[in-house]
Amino acid sequence: MTAHHHRLALVAGPALALAAFIMGAIGSGAVLADPQNEQNRQGSAQAPNELEATPPSPQPPAAAETKPPEQPEGAPSPQPPAAAETKPPEQPEGAPSPQAPATAETKPPEQPEGKTQTFGNETPSTEKPVESKSAASNLEDLSQDPKQWPTAAKNYASTRYSELDEINTTNVGKLQMAWAFSLGTNKGQEAAPLIVDNVLYVIGPYPNEVFALDATTGDLKWSYAPKPDPAVQGVACCDVVTRGLAYDQGKIFIATLDNHAVALDAKSGQELWHTKLGEISKGETITMAPLAAKGKIFIGNSGGEMGVRGWVTALNEKDGTIAWRAYSTGPDKDVLIGDDFKPFYGSLKAKDLGVSSWPPDHWKNGGGTVWGWISYNPEFNLIYYGTANPGPWNSNQRPGDNLWTTTIFARDADTGAAKWAYQMNPHDLWDYDEINENVLLDLDIDGQPRKVLVHIGRNGFMYVIDRQTGEVLSADPYDTVTSIKSIDLKTGRPVVDESLHPDLEKVIRNVCPASPGAKDWQPTAWSPRTKLLYVPHQHLCMNFKTSQVGYIAGTPFVGATVDMFAGPGGYRGEFMAWDPVAKKKVWSISENFPVWSGTMVTAGDIAIYGTMDRWLKAVNAKTGEVLWKFHAGSGFIGQPVTYQGSDGRQYIAILSGVGGWSGAIANAEIDPRVRNGALGFAGANQDLPAYTKGGSELIVFAIPKQAAVQAEAAP
Amino acid sequence: MLEVRPPSLPLAIGLALFAIAGQAFSDSPAPNMPAPTPSQLLNVPVTTILPGDVDLAPNIKNPVADDSAAAARGMKYFANFNCVGCHADNGGGGMGPALSNRAFLYGGKPENIYLTIAQGRPNGMPAWGSLLPSSVIWDLVAYVKSISSEPEESWGKTTSLEALKTEQVPAEFQSTPDPWKYTQPFADGQKPSGG
Repeated sequence: MTAHHHRLALVAGPALALAAFIMGAIGSGAVLADPQNEQNRQGSAQAPNELEATPPSPQPPAAAETKPPEQPEGAPSPQPPAAAETKPPEQPEGAPSPQAPATAETKPPEQPEGKTQTFGNETPSTEKPVESKSAASNLEDLSQDPKQWPTAAKNYASTRYSELDEINTTNVGKLQMAWAFSLGTNKGQEAAPLIVDNVLYVIGPYPNEVFALDATTGDLKWSYAPKPDPAVQGVACCDVVTRGLAYDQGKIFIATLDNHAVALDAKSGQELWHTKLGEISKGETITMAPLAAKGKIFIGNSGGEMGVRGWVTALNEKDGTIAWRAYSTGPDKDVLIGDDFKPFYGSLKAKDLGVSSWPPDHWKNGGGTVWGWISYNPEFNLIYYGTANPGPWNSNQRPGDNLWTTTIFARDADTGAAKWAYQMNPHDLWDYDEINENVLLDLDIDGQPRKVLVHIGRNGFMYVIDRQTGEVLSADPYDTVTSIKSIDLKTGRPVVDESLHPDLEKVIRNVCPASPGAKDWQPTAWSPRTKLLYVPHQHLCMNFKTSQVGYIAGTPFVGATVDMFAGPGGYRGEFMAWDPVAKKKVWSISENFPVWSGTMVTAGDIAIYGTMDRWLKAVNAKTGEVLWKFHAGSGFIGQPVTYQGSDGRQYIAILSGVGGWSGAIANAEIDPRVRNGALGFAGANQDLPAYTKGGSELIVFAIPKQAAVQAEAAP
Repeated sequence: MLEVRPPSLPLAIGLALFAIAGQAFSDSPAPNMPAPTPSQLLNVPVTTILPGDVDLAPNIKNPVADDSAAAARGMKYFANFNCVGCHADNGGGGMGPALSNRAFLYGGKPENIYLTIAQGRPNGMPAWGSLLPSSVIWDLVAYVKSISSEPEESWGKTTSLEALKTEQVPAEFQSTPDPWKYTQPFADGQKPSGG
């Protein structure tokens, strides 16, 4: 009885608020009542609210070009405009109980969440292992081994650089497909395969099946099928992607779209544990690739378009219990801000900014999800990651800086305690999530060796930040930017163009970059040989109109009509090389569609990326010259990786299968004739369905043995 | 471990709505036509395979089919209940499938659309029946029928750069329950002609 009363009391608040909202939304309550119904005690004669008359206005006047095509001084773009693609998910959430410790239920291994099937010879492979940096070895050591690719980013510093050089600028033209494997789900394939000791592990989009294959022969060793709730497809903002899985100490770790973390035995594929981390009924999903470090797995949520409250959670690798969870909004104790917290900028030093920088209680639905990349610095024992956009997109509903959205956090890996933070887009206006990768580099800046973090901002600025203190050393635009004039290095704050302020219901034209930013989730690579950063990105602008939106748990919380289109010059994507010390573009290749694939670079001085119109390209890392390309079954939005097989040869692997925010128009029921579809991305990529459909092919390339021998023999 | 989800939120919302409205949800839509009864709706199949070839489908009409203001009301609800967040302005599609063409996964008759909204569907469509009165759902049905009336009437669809000829005037410039009335040349991802 008491318990029941307590429960009702807990519920009554939000329920009444929601009911009141719904009454308001329906309009005066009149529609609830039947005018003919004698029992209508409202007796309301009020007419239902009429829609504002929409005069069939003539075409709006054409907008003047706001900006000349500011093409960088880089190398000429040798490629004709090819196609490219886009789209990130972001997510916030509204947990009603901020105090709550992380909610999770861990299941014992006796009740497997999914099914594992083993194929072929179950006895351990008799092939000679490449080198036994095997299960027992430290992940950091494993990542230094050129034969392996043990984390999505190759290593903790997230350089996506391999020392392998068998495939190089002189012979890459001979690259051929060695084998392929179909994942069977034709949704966006964004995941990075992992390779450990000649086994390739790969995960597909929802329903998130996992496959282990012999990395040399392509033979299937086992597969694992989790059982995610199909309803989750309705709360994933931007296709049903995943960006990869994690390996450590003989275990594979995945996160399903419906918020389950799962550990598998890497040898057998058997499920070891699973832990539920979030609720799809609140709009939460998980799309990021987990990171393993120091016996923990780090996983963040998605749902920035659903009024989710963002978090990152550390689970213990051995049993799936939760070590800590750090929210991105709310009081300091939830954000794990304590005495150790020393942000560089004074404006970030007050107490409970995650509450006070919002209208009352709005932080509970404020976003700041963690769906991108986590880097780890063993020297400082810090993890680094960025948080996503605030919700809703209609910024008029959330006056304030909306901390800690669009923020880079440095946190102690053991405790989660925040060491510093830096917010890139206070009171974000345009959905500029800042979940993009943070590449940890040691650079000579102004003659001084600096330990930095390079963040390729969604807002179009390239940030070089001191990774010990959070001080911004430089921030320079790398694509067309109209929304932000510059970054004030004294305060760390952007100087925004006030003439583009998105007043309620006003159409703001030619906002660059568009909502996916100048670059989205698709990760860059860094070569210590060329000292260049290789950046796949988009080149889009947009028209944007805000509208009032109400929060209903489990439904979108956006409040914006978006219409994206190609930026100045008419192309939509670019692959570029950037010098972070000289702060300039060195060369670039224009692509017809956004470049939504990741990239990697090797000691053979080749960089690899894929296009949405189905080309996989190998380019000279020094010059940007395209040396090889391959036309695949579906567009590329995946992440290329490279490794050495048990036969000693170098292989390159990537998933083909268009999708994601930018490519969903080619794999889902989205109408290319309605520009505002897919949160406005339909406008930018409306012709993509004329180039590709969805796919799910893992493709592995190598130089044929004969050709390799000839190349060696050549003088 | 904490239980995050209140166990009976829908019920509580229902009760609260009941309290505010002062009555249970009425099943009566606008007056111009009789509303289908619950048992009629119960007999609406979600497939066209009917064993014995016995057609159970009751002849149901949208009770607001003749109400010229229904689609405009539906458009307002489409925004207010965040349908627009998934299906997009003018029903272009995104998290949820497009509603801007004649293709419906679960049937395109008014009663099919009504039941899809009320019951939800397993691959992501939420069930709105406990939250929305039927009159609101029928207005939404009227709006969905309006935005789905694409001009192309071919049985199948051809996709090619040549076949993509027109697009709608985007919603930021033309807010209307009848968006197929306002079209412009297909822009191939470039800035729309009006914008």
